[in-house]
Amino acid sequence: MSLKDLISPFYVWQRAFEKPYTQKRPIEDRPGAPRYRGFHMNSEECIGCGTCESICQNHAIDMVPVEGLEQRAGDSGLRPRFDYGRCCWCALCVDICTTRSLHLSNHYAWVTEDPDAFHFTAGTDAMPWNQNSLGYRRDDDYHLLVHDRVEMQALSAEESVAGFDEVMRGYTEEEAVLEADRCVECGICVATCPAHMAIPDYIRTVRKGDYEAGLRLLYETNPFSSTCGRICTHRCETVCVMGYQGDPIAIRWLKRAIVDRVPQEKYREILGDEVEENGKTVGVIGAGPGGMSAAYYLRRQGYAVTVYEAQARAGGMLRYGVPSYRLPDNQLDKDLEYIRSLGVEMRFNTQVGRDIPFTQLLDEHDALFLAVGLNQPSALRIAGEEHPRVLSGLRVLDDVASGKDPGVGKRVAVIGGGNVAMDAARVSRRLGAEVDVLYRRRIEDMPADPEEIRESQAEGCTLVPQAIPVEIRNASDSNQVTIVWGEAEMVADDKGGRPRPVLQEDRMHEETYDCIIAAIGQGGQIDFIPAEFRDRIEFKWNKFVPGDYQQTGLEKLFVGGDIANSRADAISAIEDGHHAARGIHRFLSGALDG
Amino acid sequence: MNTVEEILDFAIDREQQAADFYSNLAERVSSAWMKDMLLGFSKEEMRHKGKLKSVKLGDKLLNADQHVQDLKIADYTVDVEPAEDISLQDALIVAMKREKAAYRLYSDMAANIDDPELKSLFLGLAQEEAKHKLYFEVQYDEQIMRDN
Amino acid sequence: MFEPNPPIDLSSGKYLKLWQGPQHPGITGNMSLELITRGDEVVDCKTHVGYLHRGFEKLMERRTFIQNFPVVCRIAVPEPTFNEYLYAAVVEELTGIESPPRAEWIRTLNLELMRLASYLMWLGGIGAAFGQSTVYQWTVTHRDYILDLFEEMTGARIYHMYIVPGGVRGRLPEGFEDRCRDVLNRVEKLLHDVEKVLFNNVVFKTRTKGLGHIPKEMVDPYGITGPNQRAAGFSRDLRKDAPYLVYDQLEFDLITATESDTYARSWVRYLEMHEGIRMLRQCLDRMPQDGPFQAKMPNVLHWEVPAGETYIKAECTRGEYGYYMVTDGSEYLRRVHVRGPSYTHAIALMEKLAVGTNIADIAGLMVSLHTYPPEIER
Ligand SMILES: Cc1cc2nc3c(=O)[nH]c(=O)nc-3n(C[C@H](O)[C@H](O)[C@H](O)COP(=O)(O)OP(=O)(O)OC[C@H]3O[C@@H](n4cnc5c(N)ncnc54)[C@H](O)[C@@H]3O)c2cc1C
Ligand code: SF4
Ligand code: SF4
Repeated sequence: MSLKDLISPFYVWQRAFEKPYTQKRPIEDRPGAPRYRGFHMNSEECIGCGTCESICQNHAIDMVPVEGLEQRAGDSGLRPRFDYGRCCWCALCVDICTTRSLHLSNHYAWVTEDPDAFHFTAGTDAMPWNQNSLGYRRDDDYHLLVHDRVEMQALSAEESVAGFDEVMRGYTEEEAVLEADRCVECGICVATCPAHMAIPDYIRTVRKGDYEAGLRLLYETNPFSSTCGRICTHRCETVCVMGYQGDPIAIRWLKRAIVDRVPQEKYREILGDEVEENGKTVGVIGAGPGGMSAAYYLRRQGYAVTVYEAQARAGGMLRYGVPSYRLPDNQLDKDLEYIRSLGVEMRFNTQVGRDIPFTQLLDEHDALFLAVGLNQPSALRIAGEEHPRVLSGLRVLDDVASGKDPGVGKRVAVIGGGNVAMDAARVSRRLGAEVDVLYRRRIEDMPADPEEIRESQAEGCTLVPQAIPVEIRNASDSNQVTIVWGEAEMVADDKGGRPRPVLQEDRMHEETYDCIIAAIGQGGQIDFIPAEFRDRIEFKWNKFVPGDYQQTGLEKLFVGGDIANSRADAISAIEDGHHAARGIHRFLSGALDG
Repeated sequence: MNTVEEILDFAIDREQQAADFYSNLAERVSSAWMKDMLLGFSKEEMRHKGKLKSVKLGDKLLNADQHVQDLKIADYTVDVEPAEDISLQDALIVAMKREKAAYRLYSDMAANIDDPELKSLFLGLAQEEAKHKLYFEVQYDEQIMRDN
Repeated sequence: MFEPNPPIDLSSGKYLKLWQGPQHPGITGNMSLELITRGDEVVDCKTHVGYLHRGFEKLMERRTFIQNFPVVCRIAVPEPTFNEYLYAAVVEELTGIESPPRAEWIRTLNLELMRLASYLMWLGGIGAAFGQSTVYQWTVTHRDYILDLFEEMTGARIYHMYIVPGGVRGRLPEGFEDRCRDVLNRVEKLLHDVEKVLFNNVVFKTRTKGLGHIPKEMVDPYGITGPNQRAAGFSRDLRKDAPYLVYDQLEFDLITATESDTYARSWVRYLEMHEGIRMLRQCLDRMPQDGPFQAKMPNVLHWEVPAGETYIKAECTRGEYGYYMVTDGSEYLRRVHVRGPSYTHAIALMEKLAVGTNIADIAGLMVSLHTYPPEIER
C-alpha cells in the first residue's frame, strides 16, 4: 500500500462545490433541443391520407373524422388522433407524412389530471404546444418515399409528327413495378376518380406482377381500361398525395401497364363469361364509352342488351375524335371486342330519331340508357363563316379517323383551346401543316389537358392566346381564307366564373391561311325526344339533368355521358354507364321506384 | 312619352312582347328540351316585367349608374332566323341580340332627352337590358364556346 | 472449472440463502442472483433471468423492416445505438443498399459517443459499488452532457432512433462539432480526476484486486468477449480484427491487461475511454461536411427484403454484439436473433465467479462484468 493511494482520494474535494447539472423542475426550466421529438403537431396542409396511421408500429394513430372541417377534393376529412399510451416518439409518422404537415414539437413535459387528454387529434385540438416552432421535422435530404416519377418512353417530337404512331410507348415491366412501388396505398385518389376505381389495389397488383388480378379489379369499375390507360383525364393524379412533395403516381400509366400485359384472348378466361339471361331487355342509345359501359354491366347482370348507334362502328368520340397517336384503334377495339363478346347486340347505322323513333324504343325495351354524347360542333357564327376553307375540328378528326384526307393545306389556323382543338392542331402537324392555335383566353385557361398542350407545343404548334376571331374574309387566292381577329383583355367574372375575354377593338389583326379549323365547342343533339316528354324530363339547355342512378322523370329512361354531365370526359361517361346499369337493375327488380 | 308612368308602361309592354315572342316560338318547336328552354326564356321576360311593375308602384328603384360588363359577343355574331329547328347556339344569339337592341333603344332615348329624371330612368332601363344581355353572353360563352 | 458447483446441504443450518434482485434498480438489476452464503462468504450462486422478457425478436417478426428500427434500440437500454447500427447493417446487407460515406462517419461518431456514455455510467457504477458514490455523481453528470449531444443530434436522449437502414436520419446540427469537442475535453478532465479518486484509492485497489479472477482458459469456452477478455490478456477487438464503418481509418490502440480481475477490467475500460475520446476527435476532424447521408431507398411502406441470411457483429462496450437475420423475400423478416455479450457474461460466468467472494463484493463483481440484463432477454 502506497502513501499516494491514501492521499489521492482526497482529491474528491476538488469538485465539491460544483453546481449540480440536473434540473430541479424540468417542466419549467428546460426546453427540448430544437430537434427534440416531443408531442405531435399537425398543420392545415394535412389532407388525412392516413399514411402515418399505416406506418405507426404501435398503432398509436387512429384516423378520425373531425367536425367542422371544410370539405375539399383530395381530403379524406379524417385527421390523425394520437394515443400517448402507445406512442414511442419515433417520428416515423413525421418522416412518412406525404404533405409534410405532421411535426413533433420540442415540448415533452405535460402534466394534467385528465388521462383522456393524452389522446388527442393533433392540429385540430388546442394543445399548449401548437404554436411551437421547434421540434423534430424531417430533414430535406431524408426520404422514406420515392418522389420522382418513372418517366415513360415516348417518341420524340420529330418522330411523333412524322406519323400517327402512338406517342407514349408504355412502361416496361420493370418500370411499372418501380412506379407502382411509389404508391403509399392511401386511397385518397379513389374519391376523385369519377369511377372510383380501386386504384391502390390495382397498383399493388402491378407491384406484385399479378396482372390477372389487376385486370379483374379494373373491370369492376371500368370496362374501358385499355382506353383509359392511355387517354384518361386522370383527375385522380391531381389529388394523389405523392404530388405534394414530388410527382403524383402515374396512375393512368399503371392502368395501362396491366392491360398491356394481358392478351385479349385471355380476357374471357380471366374475367369469366358465364352470363345467365334474365329475360328483360334494355336498349342503349349511342355506342360511345357511356353506352358501352352500361351495356357491359347490364349484360353481366343478365339483360339482353341492344345498342343503337348512328355510326358504322362503336366507340363514339373515342373512335371518331381521339386520334390514333393517343389511342390506337386496336386498343379501343380490345376494350370494345370484349364487351361485344359477351353477347351485346349492335345495331349500327341506326340513328334514333331518323331511322327509328325514340318512342318505339321506349315501347320495345324494359328500360333505356341514352348516351349520345356531344357531336354537334358549335359554329363560329361570325361574318364569312360559310367560306369553304372553314372546316370543323370534329369533321377533320372524323376524316382522319376514317382514313380520309381532310385537306387542311400547308398553313392552318385552329380556333379553340380544348381537346378537339389540340388534336386538330396535332393532326394538322402530322399532315404537314404549319399550325397556329388561336384561343380567346390565356393558355392556363385552356380546357385541354396540360400534357396535350405541352405536347402540341413540342410538336411545333404555335399557340396564340387572347385572340378573338371577329370575321372571315375571302383571300386573294380562292384556296385560302383570311381571318380577322382582335386581341382580348381578360376581365374578372363578378360571379366567380372563369375570367372572360373582352375584345379590344383597337387591336385587330389579319392573317391568311389555307384553312381555318373551328373547334370552339360542341353540343348535343337530342331533338328526337318529343315535346310531349317535356314535363317528365329535366333539361338544362340542351343537356339532361338526371336524378339518382342517372334516371330521368321518364322512369324507363336513364341518361349519362357527355350529354348529361358537365365533365365531358371518357371516364365520367363510363361511370355514368355503370351507375345507370346499377340503377336499371334496381328499377327492373323493383328496388328503385320511378 | 313624357312621363315616368308612360315610359314604364312602354317598357312593361316590351317585356310582355318578348315573353310572347318566346312562348310563340316554343309552340312551334317539336323537341322537348327546346320547348322547355324557350318557355324558360319567356318566364324570365315575365320576371323582368314584374320587376318593372314594382318600379312603377314605387316598390323598387332602377339604378342608372351601375356598371354592366359588355363582353361584346353580341356585336360580332351574325343575325340568325328564329326557325322551328333552331339550335341552342342560335337561340342564344337571338336572345342576346334582342336584349342588345333594347339596350340601344333606351340608351338612344336617354341621349335625346333633357329632363334629368326621365334621362336617368332611360339609363336605368338600359342598364337592366345590358344585364339581361350579359346573362345571355355569359351563357353563350359557357355553353357554346366551352372550348374557346 | 467446468464442473457444476458442489451440492450444498441447506438443512445443515450452516447456510443462508439470500436473493439479490430482481427488484434491484441499478445496472445489475432486472435479474436476480440466488446466493448461498456461509457467514458473509458466498458459497454458491445461481443466476435467474426472465424478469424483463419483452420478446423483441418475436415482435420484430410482426413488423415491417422500417417499423423495426424504432424497436431495436430498446433491446439494450443504456446502449441503443449498437442495436440501431447492427439492425441497419443486416438490412443493408440483405438488400444490397449501401449507406453513403458521410453516414458511415456519423454512425461511427454515434457509436463511440455511445460507448463513452455507457462507460461513464459503468464507471459510476463500479465506483458506487465500492463505496465511491461521488464518482457516480460525477460520471452521470458527464454522461448527461453526452446525452445532451445525442438530444440535439437525434432528437432524443436515450432511444435515439437515429441510425436507420440506408444511413442516418439527419445531418449534424449547426455547431455540433464544437460542442462535442467541448464535452470531450470535460470528460477527459474528469477521467484524470477519477483516476486520482478511484484508481489510486487504497480501498478500491484492495477490494478489487484479485476479485472475480477469470482464468485465461475460461475465456473462450465461456464466450467471454470485449474488455472482459482483453483484461485477461487477449488482444481481440472487432474494430481491429474485422473493421466495419470507418474504424480502419481511425488511429487507436487496443488496450489489454493480464491480471483479469475486477481492477484490471476496470482499468482496461478506463483506458479505452481515452481511446474513445481519441477516435471521436478524429471523427469530428475528418467527417465529410456534405454529401448524402442516406442511400436511395425504395418506398419503405412495402419494402420487401430479398430472401437471405446473415450475421453481422460489432464491438460494443461489453464485447461482441451481433445480429443474425433470416429473410424470406416478404415485407417481414423470418427470424432475427440478437447476440449480446451480457448473456454469456451474466449467466454462466457469474455463477462461477461469485463462489468464494464476499456478499459485499457481489454487486461490484457484477458491475465489473458490465452486463445489461435487458439485452439478455430479447
Ligand atoms: C377530339 C376529342 C378528344 C378527346 N380527348 C379526350 C381525352 O383525352 N380523354 C378523355 O377522357 N376524353 C376525351 N374526349 C372526350 C370523350 O371522348 C367523351 O367524353 C366521351 O367519348 C363521351 O362519351 P359518351 O358515351 O357520352 O359519348 P360519345 O363518345 O360522344 O358517344 C356517343 C355515341 O352516340 C352516337 N349517337 C349520337 N346520337 C345518336 C342517335 N340519335 N342515335 C344513335 N346513336 C347516336 C354517336 O354516334 C356516338 O357513337 C375527347 C373528345 C374529343 C372530341
Ligand atoms: S411518433 Fe412513432 S409511435 Fe408515435 S404516433 Fe408517430 S409513428 Fe406512432
Ligand atoms: S395513387 Fe397516390 S393518392 Fe392514390 S393510393 Fe397511391 S399514393 Fe395514394
